[in-house]
Amino acid sequence: SFLTWRLCCEQPLGRRATIVSIKPEFPSEVHNVISRQVTRDSIVILFYCICNTVCFPCRHKYPACSCRKIHSDAKPKDPFTLAQKDLMSLYDDIKKELFVSKEELKSLCDYYFDGKGKAIRPMIVILMARALNIHSNGAGDLLPGQRAVAMISEMIHTASLVHDDVIDGSDKRRGKRTINDLWGERKAILAGDFILSAASMALARIVCVYSLLFLGVEIIFVCDTGEFMQLGSKENESERFKHYLEKTFKKTASLIANSCKAVSILVNADPDVHEIAYQYGRNVGIAFQLVDDVLDFTAGASQLGKPSAADLKLGLATGPVLFACQQFPELHAMIMRRFSSKGDVDRAWQYVVQSDGVEQTNFLARRYCEEAIRHISRLRPSAERDALIALTHMVLARDK
Amino acid sequence: MAARCDRSCVVKQPIAKHPGPSNWSKAVSDAEKIVGYPTSFMSLRCLLSDEFSNVAMHVKKLVGTQHPLLNTARGFVYDSRNNFQMRGLVVLLLSKAAGPSHTSSDALAQDMVSGIYPSQRNLAEITELIHTAFLVHCGVVNLKEWTASDGLLKDMEFGNKMAVLSGDFLLANACTGLAQLNNTKVVELISSAIGDLVQGIYYENSNNTEENNLTTKVDTTAWEEQTFLSHGALLAKSCQAAMELAQHDKKSQRLAYKYGKHLSLGHKLNSDLQPFVKSNVGEQVSFSFSAAPVVFHRHIVGPERWQQQLQQAKTMRNQLDYSKLLAAVKSEKGLSLAVNLCCYHGNRALEAIQAFPSSEARSALENIASAITKF
Repeated sequence: SFLTWRLCCEQPLGRRATIVSIKPEFPSEVHNVISRQVTRDSIVILFYCICNTVCFPCRHKYPACSCRKIHSDAKPKDPFTLAQKDLMSLYDDIKKELFVSKEELKSLCDYYFDGKGKAIRPMIVILMARALNIHSNGAGDLLPGQRAVAMISEMIHTASLVHDDVIDGSDKRRGKRTINDLWGERKAILAGDFILSAASMALARIVCVYSLLFLGVEIIFVCDTGEFMQLGSKENESERFKHYLEKTFKKTASLIANSCKAVSILVNADPDVHEIAYQYGRNVGIAFQLVDDVLDFTAGASQLGKPSAADLKLGLATGPVLFACQQFPELHAMIMRRFSSKGDVDRAWQYVVQSDGVEQTNFLARRYCEEAIRHISRLRPSAERDALIALTHMVLARDK
Repeated sequence: MAARCDRSCVVKQPIAKHPGPSNWSKAVSDAEKIVGYPTSFMSLRCLLSDEFSNVAMHVKKLVGTQHPLLNTARGFVYDSRNNFQMRGLVVLLLSKAAGPSHTSSDALAQDMVSGIYPSQRNLAEITELIHTAFLVHCGVVNLKEWTASDGLLKDMEFGNKMAVLSGDFLLANACTGLAQLNNTKVVELISSAIGDLVQGIYYENSNNTEENNLTTKVDTTAWEEQTFLSHGALLAKSCQAAMELAQHDKKSQRLAYKYGKHLSLGHKLNSDLQPFVKSNVGEQVSFSFSAAPVVFHRHIVGPERWQQQLQQAKTMRNQLDYSKLLAAVKSEKGLSLAVNLCCYHGNRALEAIQAFPSSEARSALENIASAITKF
């Protein structure tokens, strides 16, 4: 199967739909073969290397996942409905944490906690916590610390959004004007810093597990450096792809993965279970971001709440462009100059549309979701666990 | 790679001596010898990372623009003889002055290097990281207020990006370091200090706008409260945290907090007072309207007289004659009020440190505290 897979990959202009049928179950020696044969046009091969060494570690040699067979008869509950009750007081709880005496600063800090966000991170954390509690004790009741982790994950995410908008110069977010657009950049940065400090205070106060605390605060660090890495452009194509996946992990997945691990540590002492939680969060997070990158090309401005091809305009080469670059080497120069010449953004966009970059990125996202399902299926069955599985499909199917 | 080389050259360069209060400089440089080495915390962990060398490279592109980040970066290298990294130094000195606590185990005492626990050294570094992060974040420019005559908007956008990212990077590093201290009380203390800083800076920013400057009245108590948030909370809470890390009792923690609080307030007053007490004839004077003597003066004379004085200090071309305004401030009680308050805080800091056993570190802290009461 390895040979057929390689043949697929070595046809740079061919449709690669056939890849879907190939499972990433290579013996470890194959990795070495692959890495030795990395050529200029073989980003796909490199991807498999990364996947095999990083996200599909060899020590986890499980049979192909059987979860869907067991639970295909009962339709899983919608994750949003299932977590709704636990998330009802989320925004009120957050606002209580943001204790500021000055009225204007308070309204800035509360601005995005208006209940209009998707709250996808707290939802995953809550469902994961309940699924883990059932797995460990047979009872699903949430612990106060787990609730706090859900809240803190949303706070950290929002703080990074506020800073992102300043960095990107965005004037719209979730259909309303951004903080920097309304109050100016200086105040926006301070508001972000304040939310961050409140999150780390909440972390210190509510969660008394040191290891967990460490994880939680490290998230901020990792997220931020993820943003940092957007600045450099890598010369080498395989380096660039590796860098892209790394960035994707840090930007979105690390927060979800570490939060999932955190709720696990709170209820269970088994490191294997922590790993399940972490890997689910990690893989879903990467898939989520990959789909986000695709939507940047496919969704209209009205759907996503921000203008299309925003990443290109910021000089960032995401998955679809990197894949398109294999078919259209002309893109290489544009990536290197970060789409800064006149007409670069439009031309790059055209190349992406003509290539199968979007399909390939979607395919990649699907692989990550399958990986997430494989991990979470090791938990004892529960409505929450199945909702987490259903969520992966929703991540792939979302169009905004 | 090139960036890394450049940076290390910058760090190793002999630091230009900034003209400033000599008492203060002497007290600080003497004190640095006591804690083992010059307190160059920042160069250790952060500046050697790839991310930061990336930034250093990009900051170079800002040279020639008007972005405030450049000034912050410049001060980072040249101003270190003055109050730069003063916070970290004070945390180290206090840690040493307090010594090992009676309740901590001997095993822990073995980790001490020149009388300071490793965790306390980390705390000192974290304190500096946070302080610098906010210096950098304060350099963010409001783009809508930027006019074409000020320079290219593109440069400002780029500068903002760098300021946000590098500030976040420093702050995130501080948070990671904080978590590694493994002490929830310390995490809470320092996190709350970050919150205080934000509130203090936010307040200062909104007070510094032109219209607010003329209308708001601030008395000494209100000034102290605000200044504590923006200039004192971080040091006070870091000092307290240093005691907590060595398992010192509540009383020592309270004293350390006091020392940090009064020292920072006194230090702020001292630097605010500089343009008013220096008698450099012929030199161009300039001062901020938010400087303590001006704030107190305005509170004493009331808004109407202040408006009058502002009008009188205006030249033909509608420019402010600062020396005239300075004379107006000097003629009233605002200045002496600020001087007295400065001495008060310096003395309270001295008082707090007296409770610690006599040592080299304690005398250094005494010297620093008395330096701020001299002009």
